[in-house]
Amino acid sequence: MADTAQVKAKEGTFAFGKKEKQLLSDPLNDNNPITIQVLGICSALAVTTLLEKALVMAIAVIFVIAFANLFTSLLRKSIPKEVRMIVQLIIIAFLVTVVELTLKAANYPIFKELSVFIGLIITNCIVMGRLEAFAMANRPWRSFLDGIGNGLGYGFILLIIAFFRELFGKGSLLGFKIIGATPEYIINTTAGWGQTFFGWYANNNLMVLPASAMFIVGVIIWIQRSKYPRLVDAS
Amino acid sequence: MHSTQYTTVFILALTSIVALVLAGMFTVLKPIHDANEAIYNKKEILAAVDPAAENMSDDEVAKIFSTKVKQYVLNAKGEVVDAKTANGLLLKAEEIKMDKERKKPEEERVYPLYIYENADGANYIVSVYGKGLWDAIWGSVALKSDFSTVAGVAFGHKGETPGLGAEIKDNAAFKKSFIGTKILNAEGEFVSVEVKKGGAKDRVHQVDAISAATVTCDGVTDMLKEGISVYLPYFESLKKGK
Amino acid sequence: MEYINIFIKAAFIENMVLAYFLGMCSYLAVSKTVKTAVGLGAAVIFVLGITMPINWVISTYLLEPSTNIISSLYGDQIDLTFLRFILFIAVIASTVQLVEMIIEKVSPTLYTSLGIFLPLITVNCAILGGSLFMVSREYDFGESVFFGFGSGFGFFLAIIAIAAIREKIRYSDVPPALRGLGMAFILTGLMGIAFMSLMGIDPANLTAGH
Repeated sequence: MADTAQVKAKEGTFAFGKKEKQLLSDPLNDNNPITIQVLGICSALAVTTLLEKALVMAIAVIFVIAFANLFTSLLRKSIPKEVRMIVQLIIIAFLVTVVELTLKAANYPIFKELSVFIGLIITNCIVMGRLEAFAMANRPWRSFLDGIGNGLGYGFILLIIAFFRELFGKGSLLGFKIIGATPEYIINTTAGWGQTFFGWYANNNLMVLPASAMFIVGVIIWIQRSKYPRLVDAS
Repeated sequence: MHSTQYTTVFILALTSIVALVLAGMFTVLKPIHDANEAIYNKKEILAAVDPAAENMSDDEVAKIFSTKVKQYVLNAKGEVVDAKTANGLLLKAEEIKMDKERKKPEEERVYPLYIYENADGANYIVSVYGKGLWDAIWGSVALKSDFSTVAGVAFGHKGETPGLGAEIKDNAAFKKSFIGTKILNAEGEFVSVEVKKGGAKDRVHQVDAISAATVTCDGVTDMLKEGISVYLPYFESLKKGK
Repeated sequence: MEYINIFIKAAFIENMVLAYFLGMCSYLAVSKTVKTAVGLGAAVIFVLGITMPINWVISTYLLEPSTNIISSLYGDQIDLTFLRFILFIAVIASTVQLVEMIIEKVSPTLYTSLGIFLPLITVNCAILGGSLFMVSREYDFGESVFFGFGSGFGFFLAIIAIAAIREKIRYSDVPPALRGLGMAFILTGLMGIAFMSLMGIDPANLTAGH
């Protein structure tokens, strides 16, 4: 597939033509960060037990990657080559701290839930990978779009995983009960207390364990590559 | 190639700008962070009596806390004391950090106690802290005014396994099963409430454990036994006072 | 003894890769053959063992409001924890670069086998994750050294195990679309579940037996 890094900026700065559209759509399938580029797996596993957590994470990553791409692209001519990586990491760490401080003020319970995984966006290889492969060689506007595109591609997979994990692991979506019912304690005067399910569905605890995310990603890759055989790699 | 001087200046300039922006943001947002944290902790305390507290608005929680909840600081002997913070201000019970207290010698520790009056009468809420499978676990236990019957519990944890140990926080049925159990036996001795693997036999002093979360559940048992025991002298003094 | 417990816990029971699923990117990318896996694993042990204590010193003496030098100079508690991410990642990145330069000078043979993996390590979540865990678990200096080496060793074990399995599975009849990456994901999931059986073992208290 054509490496997006070789797209040369010829049109006006804020143009939105075919190339720009491709920057947004390519990472959704053909060049998906998780299933094709194999980047940013760690957080995909840890934050996908609930759809809400995955959604917040996806937004945070889109923000960080888009602005990191933008800033790096703006500075790309003045960054000294020898310390390139450290400069990129400082920019990313700065944006992640901004996200952390904002989230802590805006939604404290979610901040508590995500804990160290917000910090780990820094080492989410997608961000670093896009800075290196795209932003260092392209104009700000295109880099920004490339960041959003890759963030979306990442968030898309994250939401698919979280959808299945919350649906089957908790029987709910975004906290709303979908299948089964909450197990309740009822008082039975002859037998004492007993746990009873008011429904046909018992939550599948395997889906709550991190390992289940690995299976789901594996299956997504399987489906994707069966449908688009050109994406199969030999090894 | 850039000169070493240029590189140094570039890095220094970038770091200073970044640090300044962050320092500014941090200073502006710090009061909001602190307020959020305080409300979050208050919700955890209220949740022991009323599980719906988690969905209450921040204002509601603050209002209940200021009008219906009395808070006291107890010392290791179970006496109500006026403790001071590091800045010399009066320490409020809600400001006590259980993890920090654990690091002090036992006789210097202070413990928070909340009395929450609702339709069912007074609830004495105590804070407990212990160790689960991976990391810290903590909780609030509400006792009725006989100082024995459990009116409700709420637990929190730092990093228990989702779906297993983390159920102590997420599983409403588990928390509900504590309601009505007693921490004192018929002779009035402290026996605490045990989280029993393989099913509770004695419904008054035991509750069912969560399957496949033995270590976390044992942690809860130990935490309750240790954590509630420090409040017993205070309860004794209240009983005598009646 | 307590230090050894921390080492064992970090390496096996709370394995960075198989219990927390951190450091996945390089784990999946560099596990096609055992030989390269050994190189990356060794480099990770090295970098984790070095950066963990350094970050401990930075966190304790520069950032934490109750213990940092700036607070003790001004007599007032100054909270600099918002600089944690930037300083930690800067330490990691510069350590990696330093290590790279030293190895290149001292042992060119080691450099050729290890060198290409070093830049990859900077963005290995296990490294930064280790430092963040160290802060949230409030380890002391000695504990952080052993936690660093233990976590590194755990990563080493995990990546060699998956590389060995991937070398073998090349001869198996896996559906074409699942070959390579897809299978690696599913295998890691199974390994993670296998490692869950170690969960809850407390090396300090083996006689208790639950």
